[in-house]
Amino acid sequence: MVSPIYIIAILLGMAFMLGLLSKSGTRIAGILTSVSLALPVYISISWFIQILSGNADAITIFTAGSVPPFSINLVMGLEEAFFTSAINILGLLGFIYLSADLKKQGVRAMALYLVLIMGLNVVVMTRDIFNLFVFMEIVTIAVAGLIYLKNDNQSKEAGFKYLVAVGIISLFFLIGIGFFYFYGGTLNIDGFIAANSVVVKGATIAIFFIIISIILELKPFPANGWALDVYQAATPGVSALISSGTATASIFVLYKLLPLGSEIWLQILTVVGAVTFLGSNFLGISQKNTNRLLGYSSIGQVGLLMMVIGFMPQLGSAFKMIFFSVFISHFLAKAGLFWLSGIVKKESITDWGILRGSNIALFLFGIFLFALVGFPPFPSFYGKWQMVMELAGTGRFIWIVIILLGSFFEGLYLFRWLGYAIKGEKSNEEKLQIPWDKIVPPFIFGISLFIAAYYANSMSVYGNTINLIPLVFILLLFVIDFLPAYIKNTITIGAMVYYAVNLYPSISDDTLRVVFAAIFLIGGILTMIAGYSVKGKRKGFFPFAVMMYFGLIGLIEAENLFQFFFAWELMTLGSYILIIRGKFSMKHAFNYMLFSLGGAYLIFLGIAMSSFGNTSLDIGIIGLSTMPGWSYTLLAIGFLTKTAALGLHIWLPGAHAEAESDVSPMVSGILLKGGVFGLIVLFLAMGGEQAASHPLLYSLGWLGAITALGGNLLAVFQEDAKRLLAYSSVANLGYILFALAFMTNIGWLSALTYSINHFLFKTLLFLAIGGVVLRVKTHNMYEMGGLIKQMPWSFIAVLIGIITLAGIPPLSGYAGKWLFYNAVITKGWYFQGVLVFFAGTIAFLYCFKLIYSVFLGQPKDRFRKVKEAPIWYLIPQFILIIGIMIFSARPDLVLKPIGALLTQSSYFPSDSLSWENVTASTNLGYWSGYKIMLVIGVMFAVLLVWLMYMSRKTQKVKQFNIVYAGERPFTPETTHFSHNMFSHYYKALGFLSAPLATRFWNITNDITHRIADGSKRLYTGNGQTYLAVIMAYIIIIYLIMF
Amino acid sequence: MTNLFSIEYITIFTSFALLVLGLWGIISQKNIFKIIISFSIVNTSIHLLLVSLAYIRNRTAPIIDSAVDRVNAAEKVVDPVPHALVLTAIVIGIGITALMLSYAFTMYKQHKTLDINQYKSLKW
Repeated sequence: MVSPIYIIAILLGMAFMLGLLSKSGTRIAGILTSVSLALPVYISISWFIQILSGNADAITIFTAGSVPPFSINLVMGLEEAFFTSAINILGLLGFIYLSADLKKQGVRAMALYLVLIMGLNVVVMTRDIFNLFVFMEIVTIAVAGLIYLKNDNQSKEAGFKYLVAVGIISLFFLIGIGFFYFYGGTLNIDGFIAANSVVVKGATIAIFFIIISIILELKPFPANGWALDVYQAATPGVSALISSGTATASIFVLYKLLPLGSEIWLQILTVVGAVTFLGSNFLGISQKNTNRLLGYSSIGQVGLLMMVIGFMPQLGSAFKMIFFSVFISHFLAKAGLFWLSGIVKKESITDWGILRGSNIALFLFGIFLFALVGFPPFPSFYGKWQMVMELAGTGRFIWIVIILLGSFFEGLYLFRWLGYAIKGEKSNEEKLQIPWDKIVPPFIFGISLFIAAYYANSMSVYGNTINLIPLVFILLLFVIDFLPAYIKNTITIGAMVYYAVNLYPSISDDTLRVVFAAIFLIGGILTMIAGYSVKGKRKGFFPFAVMMYFGLIGLIEAENLFQFFFAWELMTLGSYILIIRGKFSMKHAFNYMLFSLGGAYLIFLGIAMSSFGNTSLDIGIIGLSTMPGWSYTLLAIGFLTKTAALGLHIWLPGAHAEAESDVSPMVSGILLKGGVFGLIVLFLAMGGEQAASHPLLYSLGWLGAITALGGNLLAVFQEDAKRLLAYSSVANLGYILFALAFMTNIGWLSALTYSINHFLFKTLLFLAIGGVVLRVKTHNMYEMGGLIKQMPWSFIAVLIGIITLAGIPPLSGYAGKWLFYNAVITKGWYFQGVLVFFAGTIAFLYCFKLIYSVFLGQPKDRFRKVKEAPIWYLIPQFILIIGIMIFSARPDLVLKPIGALLTQSSYFPSDSLSWENVTASTNLGYWSGYKIMLVIGVMFAVLLVWLMYMSRKTQKVKQFNIVYAGERPFTPETTHFSHNMFSHYYKALGFLSAPLATRFWNITNDITHRIADGSKRLYTGNGQTYLAVIMAYIIIIYLIMF
Repeated sequence: MTNLFSIEYITIFTSFALLVLGLWGIISQKNIFKIIISFSIVNTSIHLLLVSLAYIRNRTAPIIDSAVDRVNAAEKVVDPVPHALVLTAIVIGIGITALMLSYAFTMYKQHKTLDINQYKSLKW
């Protein structure tokens, strides 16, 4: 194998040689530089592979013909090989990316570039502390030179600040070296450690200066103003090098030098890292400048890495995997994002809509962001999970909260940015110019993220429990995204059918899971059928739809909490992208993501707390939690963000209403059940019936009742049909929560009936209304009206839907109600029960409004020629109607096995419902869906005949039968009865519908942003202040330590 | 220890004084050139510190000449390593200072001012 010394020789030699080439030879110089950057890649990677596979040992290279301490030695071990490989790959790709700029600057700039990469390599490999200093200075000079490349005022200013700040920091390093040598008698790091010099009195001061300077090089918050300015002002290609390259080298130096110091350094590092991760990400939330934002994120990630290193002893054997996954995500994603920023060339993140001009760039942008936030299946997901679990194992919950809070803030600004890219305004004149040399580097890094994800998965303890095949399928869908929508739709449906068929045998003995699996998969297939009506390619839809459904199904299949959380995050990510596809969805999807992220981290924290003191991660350990109060509450709130309990619901109406017509039923009828399933898992783990008197359940019962009332009330006053349905979903989920909180056999039976019903009728209604909206192009009900003639099938669907929703006999909604009131009476929660009952009557109001305003009354002129909804919308609707009919007539088919399961399980032994054929009876009464259906059917038929007989003499109104009274108003629709339909109720009850929750979250949001914006001002822009902060930082750390 | 005014103490105190002086200059002077000069003072103070840490009483410079022969050089000269380090550090210091000065020069050419308070286009 080639000796690593050639890395230095080649790079340095070529740098000198370039100096000899004349300026005219930039082309040749470019080729020579690329070659000389490619060779080190080969050398370092081959070392990495050889050492990793055990074919070679780490080698030490001695210079000047003698051994240390008389000479400098370089080490190429596994870690060094890994980091130099990373740096050299970055160096090569970064050069390809920068080559156009560098060619303009001439040969000398290329030499500078070579020197930078060479310097970073030596910084990683050297074991001599003074040598380290020298090469760190060389790196500084090279970076300062490269910052100069951009040649504008800002970069000059930033470069100067950088130079002075890093200059001062390295002088402190030099002081440290002086004492290091004085007390240790050597410059060799290993020699110093071997002689155990750290115990020498006075050596601590040497170590202090050395380590604190390395920490400062890593830009700890708040002594990092200079770094932010550099990230902002430098060419993005150079910022990528600084963020991923020099930070990589510095973090490795820290890792290398830490053994010099005592244990206390680890604690200091943890604190410094935590402050940096939290502080930097917090300030990032009010930042709009692209590169500066990336700077904040960069610094935050390095803070997280410092924390990982600081927790090295606690993380034990998991350290390597955690460090690798967090590091590689940051390394690849940050460089990639800076590179993309250089392609987009937009200063503000609000202008990133232009990115839509290129699918590949948008795709890369997405995966870089997901990787940074730590969504599965990207490496940092595994890393963060493992880290949190290890910390939870030792009870370090405050640290977990810091990590999660920091991640939340980071997610906040990154998803806002993503929102602008997917939905932000974009002028048509501007075209995104993507030269190949600018897109190849981020592309390679994007692909590498998947490879890294694979390794993180295989290194992770629970990684092997994840089924990766669906993820591969999702990737495949990206690859075939150029195909027309109907082909991809068929493939997707086929895959879901295949999955369902294969899944069934494994869960068939657990009816509860079967029910939810049916909701997720059958519901998924039905809603996908509606997708056939979409023409064109429908880019980017299918992978995320599959991701959402796979996530949902994963919740059911999960055997341990890792799988559960993995699935939860996948579902969140998939649904977010589906929601944001709506025309006006940017803001709503962002809100959805915020609540989902917050909820997910609460769940994560709850899981972590449950795992404390338990050795396994089985789902059942929630019930064994040593801190049940905390675990249960956190998990419950987490799940409630998904089921949109009142107070946490503000994301839902917009997200569901503005989503595309066939996405609304997915996210409303189906996705919400993910949260319900979470609650079921939680409540079962709490112990079922035995936990019935738990105070948490009592409050959740109240919350459910209030949600039911509030949701329905808000639904009544909507003019937007889809919003009406969305608010109705809030209320329905309130019922489900309320019924689950009973924790009785019959309560759960009613909750499950509600879940099934809600799935059936809400999917049906959203599909039907979605079909109408597709035709009339408005959501406002008062603009519709009289559509019964044009859309009779949709009318029937809506009619069936609202009958089910309102719980009117004979349809299955009534079954839910019947069970429900039985449960309320058995449980004795009368007051809450009255609230829910009242809510039920309110539901009649909006049901009437929905069918009346849309389908009845006089048709509007402009809709006289609209067609019936697309057939692809009607097919799933009528399948759902068949489902409703079967469930209504024979509820025992589903409810009997569920009841049996509940009774047989140890959770709900006290059964109070008995079945006799199709008749269910409790000690309060009996009910038979089949008979009711017959009776009502006969009544309906009689009435219909009677009505037809009575109205035989009616005649159609002719055109001139109308008496004109006064002028025609400007917007005639608003004078219609169906506009502001329930204004009289509003006068009476409107105060209850005041947007209190919205106001609360808006104020919270506002205050948070103001604080972030205000604190950000500590970066005054004055280079001198930055220096003062650096010195103050040293003094403070010194005072903390001694 | 006997005499605080012996050469090694004087140099150490001097270097310390220079260090404080330089750091103070860096955070108090508004003129960019003065900041750079302060930086150089700090640099020098550290060079002085290194050399004085290497000093061993009653010994001579680590140069083998008529005063020091090869045989007993180890007993006669002060520690040569820090001297070598200082030489390197001086070179690096010059490099950094030169780069700073060239930055300052171009900054001045564009803004016609050397007041560091005027360079705040990047912030927050």
